Amino acid sequence: MSWPFCHRSPVAEVHASDARRRPTVRSSLALAPLAPFQLVEQWQEEIWPAMGPAPAAMSLFVGRVRGTTTAGLPLEALELEHYPGMSERLLEQLARSMAELHRVEAVGVAHRVGTILPGEPIVVVAAFADRRGPAQRCCQELLEALKHEAPFWKREWSGGTGTWVAGNTPLAGHPPLGRPS
Amino acid sequence: MSGPEASGATIRVRLFGSLREAAGWAEQSVCTNGAKATPLALWRQLGLDLLGPAAAADGSGGEALPGGVRVAINQEFTSPHAPLVEGDELAFLPPITGG
Repeated sequence: MSWPFCHRSPVAEVHASDARRRPTVRSSLALAPLAPFQLVEQWQEEIWPAMGPAPAAMSLFVGRVRGTTTAGLPLEALELEHYPGMSERLLEQLARSMAELHRVEAVGVAHRVGTILPGEPIVVVAAFADRRGPAQRCCQELLEALKHEAPFWKREWSGGTGTWVAGNTPLAGHPPLGRPS
Repeated sequence: MSGPEASGATIRVRLFGSLREAAGWAEQSVCTNGAKATPLALWRQLGLDLLGPAAAADGSGGEALPGGVRVAINQEFTSPHAPLVEGDELAFLPPITGG
């Protein structure tokens, strides 16, 4: 399976012939507010005791709800709808696909659903690897995959009116990412 | 040909987000019209192409779904031209806005 927002890390190419263990993946949907740093601690505690020393690099992304709508109005709340069953499976599948593509040791991803207030975290992604390059690229490309490949839909509430978001914005200041070979 | 494809199959159709709101329903069981049922054929059978600009034909002569609308059968992304069989769960997904 390939994803349109990813490419293989150069570091991964160097070590392409290495026999490596299957990456560990933790993924979850949450109705309650996310606590990003507690999640990272939890992932580390779950993963590393059985695997020895923690990897040298961790890349972490925390996405929070913006205080304004796409139209620039004050945002009261963001409603996030999802496709139960498919969304949980795709979170895990995308995380595993990116972890294997970039040959990182582990990936954690948590996504909110339901009603989310401005400033609250909506998504947390962490990638753990031996080098910063794969960790950073995995983190970024998993986030992009979530934005375009996982069945979630945002509705912005402002002035008592809900408006469905038509589409996610492209990644600012970054050229389009290619498909993996 | 015999079986459900020839006589029509019962399909569970689900809508999400803006499509659900525009149509006014979230899910229903539908009996397809005859053989070779596809998501695109059910899209038209259910009148979803008449909902408005977001759901109207994309200018391809009705041979494609409107831009950004995707299809899942049994919770797997697939083509609007994929064959449907008895008992399938078909979902029409408006443009994804996760993350």
